Amino acid sequence: MKTEKMLFSFLLVGVLAVAVVASGCIGGETTTQTTTVEQITLKVIGPWSGAELDAFNEVIKAFEAEHPDIKVEYKTYRAEDLSTILPLQFESGDTPADLIFMWGWFIADMGTKGHVMELGQIINPDEYVPGILDTVTVDGKIYGAPFTAAAKPGFWYRKSFFEEHGLTPPETWDEFVKLLEQIKQIPGIKAPIVSGDSVGWPLSDVTEHFIMTFGGAELQQKLINGEVKWQDPQVRSIFEERLVPLLEAGYFSDPIEWTSAVELWWKGEYALYFMGTWLTGMVDDPTDLGLISLPGVKAMVLAPDYFMVPKYTSHPNEALELAKFIATEGQRIHVGTSSGKLATWKEVTMDDYWEPMKDVAKVVANVESAPDLDDSVGGEWQKAFWDQLKLLWVQPDRLDEILKTLDEKFPKE
Amino acid sequence: MRKSKSLTPLFFLLPALILMVPFVIYPVFKTVYLSFFLDDKFVGLENYKNVLLSPDIVNLDRFPTNSPPWGALIHNVVWIAIHLPATVFLGLGIALLLRGKEIKGASVIKSIVFLGMVIPMIVGGLIIRFLFEEGAGVIPAIFKALGIEGLAITWTAYPKTALFAAILGSIWIWTGFSMLMYSAGLASIPKDYYEAALIDGANRFQIFKNVTWPLLKPITIVVVAMTLLWDLKIFDVVYVATGGGPGGASMVLALQMWDYFARALNYNYAAVVAVLLTTLTLIPALWLIRRRE
Repeated sequence: MKTEKMLFSFLLVGVLAVAVVASGCIGGETTTQTTTVEQITLKVIGPWSGAELDAFNEVIKAFEAEHPDIKVEYKTYRAEDLSTILPLQFESGDTPADLIFMWGWFIADMGTKGHVMELGQIINPDEYVPGILDTVTVDGKIYGAPFTAAAKPGFWYRKSFFEEHGLTPPETWDEFVKLLEQIKQIPGIKAPIVSGDSVGWPLSDVTEHFIMTFGGAELQQKLINGEVKWQDPQVRSIFEERLVPLLEAGYFSDPIEWTSAVELWWKGEYALYFMGTWLTGMVDDPTDLGLISLPGVKAMVLAPDYFMVPKYTSHPNEALELAKFIATEGQRIHVGTSSGKLATWKEVTMDDYWEPMKDVAKVVANVESAPDLDDSVGGEWQKAFWDQLKLLWVQPDRLDEILKTLDEKFPKE
Repeated sequence: MRKSKSLTPLFFLLPALILMVPFVIYPVFKTVYLSFFLDDKFVGLENYKNVLLSPDIVNLDRFPTNSPPWGALIHNVVWIAIHLPATVFLGLGIALLLRGKEIKGASVIKSIVFLGMVIPMIVGGLIIRFLFEEGAGVIPAIFKALGIEGLAITWTAYPKTALFAAILGSIWIWTGFSMLMYSAGLASIPKDYYEAALIDGANRFQIFKNVTWPLLKPITIVVVAMTLLWDLKIFDVVYVATGGGPGGASMVLALQMWDYFARALNYNYAAVVAVLLTTLTLIPALWLIRRRE
């Protein structure tokens, strides 16, 4: 009897144990179901606002439609501000967002310090424009992914302005200089080319266009790597023979705040404006836009917006899912808007582009692409580069001193 | 009983100390500590030597014969040399002109002068930028009207004018403070003193020299000390108006510190400039405290 009681007790305990485990499993299943239905929120930080943000929001909307369980919250931060916030937050093991758009060199720096997730599992380098991942790759590890890119293809003009004054786009360097002189003689014109000013990048874009026209992508890359000095005869000749004579002849205006410059140029106070492709989304009538690259241009800057996934994200899997979408299908959506951007993911076709960008995309496709010089070097030198170019624009006679400063400030290995 | 009495002040100080230790005292010591290290190695005064010998801080090759850049430290000194007397005497002059009830609209004019003080410094910097921009700004327009073409330019774009554009703009912003302080000081001087001086046959200049100016001395000390502090820590106005350029021609110490910190990610050099700035600002601050005691 005693034994039977014991057996019964064991049986009862066993049944209860199985019941508890079974209910646990069922309960677990229920919990899992609840969790999958529950929406999680991913935070994204990027540099856009206004019309640029509207274009990016189209990408976010498409992602949310595909992933109803994920909500994306966007915040605008300038890269300059992020550069002070992120290192401190990362050091304390925290992050202000799950996916952050930032300078390529900065992402690489944070990656080597162990603050950023490797993206090799979601990024296939073969699917991207060659060299585009170099900035964010260190020792074969990919720390950042590229989104769409702005190209800096040349000098924009209004077709209506050229028609009104009987001007035609130049085919040679001499024709280009002749065109500038022709424009200078037009009454009411303050200068043929308006120089955009901000912290300094519009002037560096112009300079890089000259470097790549007369030195090619190879020279640009060597300057980025520090393999060629700024006082090198090849570099010096581009400044002395091409850029400085134009500055001295007064073909460029003094630097003017770059968004104000758009208005002045559009009003006809200036005829040409060197700006990135995002300009197409900033003018009233993008169909009136024409583009003049320097004759004989060999390469153009393709400057992508890079992003990273900080290691400290609370939702690594979902953040990687979003990262993959933005780096691939998101690009297709983005180039279809008025963003004025070009795809870095090769699966995007010409048909995917917004109509006014199709011609630009064709121009860029026919030349070699190169990374943005100052964005690639970054750090203190980037600001020095911008600052020295501002000086060159108003005092071209100080070229020697400027090139020397650029060499002195270049990061040492 | 005596022991508890001696502990009483400490008890009242405790809440403030609890906040100050982690948020003020520790960061100060940590900054000083950082300034003696490079790549986690103790380097003594090496960082100080490198920073102070850098042409970004002192550029004696160009100063004073050539146009700026002269180095951030010299720019701060130039800033003090122009900005300090200008704001003190402009503020005093406006306060003297607009005192009493005999000037119609005096309070409106004072409000306009004080406007510079109430707008955010970033906005002030933007206004300065446009104020000195050729085509948009009033300053180049005035020089153009006067036929001085050399100054009818975008001041912030040229090394010879960028620093002075920022300083002149800053005078506009800060004069309101000086004027307000002197207006309050003038209002506190009893009328009897002036009546007695008039009876004694003193003229306006004598009254100013022997009555007004001596009685305004405490105000002047505050204005001078506060202006010195403002001049040494100037950052936002320059950051927005010129960015320290072109070619470093308007760089100041606080902005250089920011550049070391945010651009070069060199926290040790940034700490060196921070320590130098703190030391420099402590001089007028201590002077002010002692004079007031």
